[in-house]
Amino acid sequence: MKITIVGAGKVGFHIAQKLSGENQDVVLIDKDSEKIKQITEALDVQAILGSGTSPRLLRDSGIEEADMLVAATDSDEINLISCLLAKNINQYMVKVARIKNEEYLEEKNLFGQDLLGIDQLINPQAIMAETILRLMEVQGASEVIDFIGGQVKLIGITVTEDSPLTGRSLLSLKGLEDKLLIGPIIREEQVIIPHGKDTIQVDDLVYVVVRNNDLNSVFQLFGIEERGLKRVMIVGAGRTGMALATALDQSKVNVKIIEKDSERCADLAEKLERVLVINGDGTGRDLLREENIEDFDFMVAITGDQESNVLISLLAKGLGVKRTITRVSKLSYIPLVSHIGIDTVVSLRLSAVRAILQFIRRGKIISVTPLKGEHAEAIEAEALETSDIVNVPLSKIDFPKRAMVGAIVRGERIIIPNGDSVIKPKDRLILFALQQVIPKLEKLLSAKLEYF
Amino acid sequence: MHFFIITRFVAILIFFLGISMGAPLLVSIIYRDGSAWALFLSMFITSFVGLIFLVSTKSQKKDLLSHRDGVAIVTLGWLMAGLFGTLPYLFSGSIPDFTNACFESISGFTTTGSSILSYIENLPRGILLWRSQTQWFGGMGIIVLSIAILPFLGIGGMQIYKAEIPSPVVDKLKPRISETAKTLWKIYILITGFEIVLLFAGGMSFFDAVCHSFCTMPTGGFSTKNASIAHFNTLYFQIVIIIFMLLAGINFSLHYKLIKGDLKIFSKDSECRVFLILVGLFTLIVTLNIYGPVYNSPGNAFRHGAFQVSSIITTTGFITADFDKWPALSRLILLVCMFLGAMAGSTGGGMKIMRIMLIIKHSYQQIFQIIHPHAVTTVKLDGRPVSQDILSSIWGFFILYLSLFIIATLIMAALGLDMVSALTSVAASIGNIGPGLGVVGPVKSYITIPFVGKWVLIFCMLLGRLEIYTVIVFLMPAYWRK
Repeated sequence: MKITIVGAGKVGFHIAQKLSGENQDVVLIDKDSEKIKQITEALDVQAILGSGTSPRLLRDSGIEEADMLVAATDSDEINLISCLLAKNINQYMVKVARIKNEEYLEEKNLFGQDLLGIDQLINPQAIMAETILRLMEVQGASEVIDFIGGQVKLIGITVTEDSPLTGRSLLSLKGLEDKLLIGPIIREEQVIIPHGKDTIQVDDLVYVVVRNNDLNSVFQLFGIEERGLKRVMIVGAGRTGMALATALDQSKVNVKIIEKDSERCADLAEKLERVLVINGDGTGRDLLREENIEDFDFMVAITGDQESNVLISLLAKGLGVKRTITRVSKLSYIPLVSHIGIDTVVSLRLSAVRAILQFIRRGKIISVTPLKGEHAEAIEAEALETSDIVNVPLSKIDFPKRAMVGAIVRGERIIIPNGDSVIKPKDRLILFALQQVIPKLEKLLSAKLEYF
Repeated sequence: MHFFIITRFVAILIFFLGISMGAPLLVSIIYRDGSAWALFLSMFITSFVGLIFLVSTKSQKKDLLSHRDGVAIVTLGWLMAGLFGTLPYLFSGSIPDFTNACFESISGFTTTGSSILSYIENLPRGILLWRSQTQWFGGMGIIVLSIAILPFLGIGGMQIYKAEIPSPVVDKLKPRISETAKTLWKIYILITGFEIVLLFAGGMSFFDAVCHSFCTMPTGGFSTKNASIAHFNTLYFQIVIIIFMLLAGINFSLHYKLIKGDLKIFSKDSECRVFLILVGLFTLIVTLNIYGPVYNSPGNAFRHGAFQVSSIITTTGFITADFDKWPALSRLILLVCMFLGAMAGSTGGGMKIMRIMLIIKHSYQQIFQIIHPHAVTTVKLDGRPVSQDILSSIWGFFILYLSLFIIATLIMAALGLDMVSALTSVAASIGNIGPGLGVVGPVKSYITIPFVGKWVLIFCMLLGRLEIYTVIVFLMPAYWRK
């Protein structure tokens, strides 16, 4: 597949990195010569210096033969114009655009086939708000990914010292096979696709596939207390904060939102019913105390300043909040902050990257979510009748070594598979795979050519 | 540095080099030229050594290549290819002396084409093919070839690709480096194939057609005949070879664009224009200069003038006439051609037309700036601005090239060579041309150069082929410091 990406910012760079790692043909366009130079050194992609809104440059970049355009600059306007030009040059191209401005998003007709023909809009703020909501729903987890409309969940749990599972091998979990499946384990930034003999260690991030109804028993197993979500403190009322507060306004949850800017506060207070808007500095210890931070379940630090967010979360943690969610923009900070006691990290760019990648992989694969650290992915796919994997016991399939089947969903039934399980046509599968084997996996999942 | 990856890569290179010796082996079996055993032994040893290192580095984890690794891979890869390339010469007894064999082998891989052999025609055919084949591999680059055929390189490919491609700016033809390398090699093979057909159709034996095409396209210059192209003294062969030498001297990405349907690309590209104009201009001067004193007919003067100018400026080094006997102006023009070289991104050597153009443009900009101190100007090439980084690196290259040239020339003079021979032997080696003037003139061989001198020239050839920086960086103490 040939993919043209406009904008080599963090989002563009990240997508290019992922796709070129899978041997796709990637062309990256950016105006900044410094960035182009950097990318030429770092990635195996064609980096072109110039504007994504120049029709001549787009033609020169070979957009006529490209299958997809990803407009991922920071500017909505540039993204829209790139898509428009791309549509003009290449009718059949799939177009994905990153759009922030809600006013644009409200104009549904704008993006339809008649005008811009954008196939997928990516609004990172909205996606991040969704991610945060999902994380709050399952409090014990540091990551939650929904499959099959939420019936099956993939949750990431960080193993603590007092967890009853610490030091136990997967074999010793016998008897639980039908309830849960231990997926990839992330240990010191290495992804492990585990086997029976592997043990669970302290500080591992363990991914578990589980039915929605069995969630509580899994938490019990990991020694995590599950309480209902009662109180949430949000610091920062930007677009995400706003979306989050609006979503929680309808629920029974007690929400306080702290924002420095008084005008913004007034604006918020007008729009929201139940949420308590507080004008003040979220990094202030006294303010947090005054608002009884110690009784809160969550501290969501999502101001525009990542360093402040980290400080706020640490402060709140020190003052007794149960869990924190922290927005970080620099991706290289993410592995660092988890070392200093930050529970869960969200990032606008990562959200955008995930959303775009999910869209790109569409087709026989229904959805793809990169797991923490980005080296592995969780894939939801449908088993096609003519593919090699159906009607054979799992142990007989020539599966790539660094991939595994996490769950098989057949109608209403959810099967947590073992070696003898058989995949039937039309089953939905949840798979895990390290990045390198994804092209191989895609091939395995696809239908064999039929000759007529 | 990742020593395991470097070893592994070089091992793969050596392994494939060994396998490629199968072609000359086959030829030698067919012609029963008596070198089959020597070639078999070379093939066995080379691929076996490659395989051993390959297997012993197998368990290593894949890691990303850094710039440093790229430099090491390219420099070591070329050195090793040069060393293992001597085996067929040594075993067959064609060149029994190690220094001489090394000279011939490196001269082959670097597409220099200077030879220590005086009687080429009595070499076994298998060895002759190997000699041509080393040039053919070296022309488009053994590293580029490995990037094209080895899928595992991925991101690291760019680092070593840049270290081998003879151009100050590297543009990718395709989004992926392996695809780019593949495309380049396909074009290279295609044009070589054309030349073989044309030479064969003109009546050259198939073996000679292959060998000469293998040495034209990389702008190498080895011939299977003592008298080089002068042996085939027909207008047809000379015209065909002039055309293909010029094609080889043109940036291969232009060939790609031509194939893609941009028919006017040669006239659109300013470097190409300058290159072709220079070839025309020099041919004219040389023709006028040699018409009369050397050749009685203007036709002959033009024919040999055009052939020698094309041969030297593209750094091929094929010979139709003993230009050492030409008047001073013509010889000087050829000396200028040795320094200019062909286009960037071609298989030719020398300093490259693009660098000279940019140096002139930049100098003009400096002068302009004195006249208009507040003017804001940029150096442009084909309408695209050239960054300061590239300009500084070109100036650095220019200064290094000249300093190394001067140092090597002084060494050669110290070894007892006369001035013209010392100057041109170094110029012809660092520019990857082949024949020089004086004792290394077109009808002479490098056998008379003293032992130390040969090693100096071998070093110069490698410097020239890998465009100075790669080799110099590898030799810097700073490179080896942790």
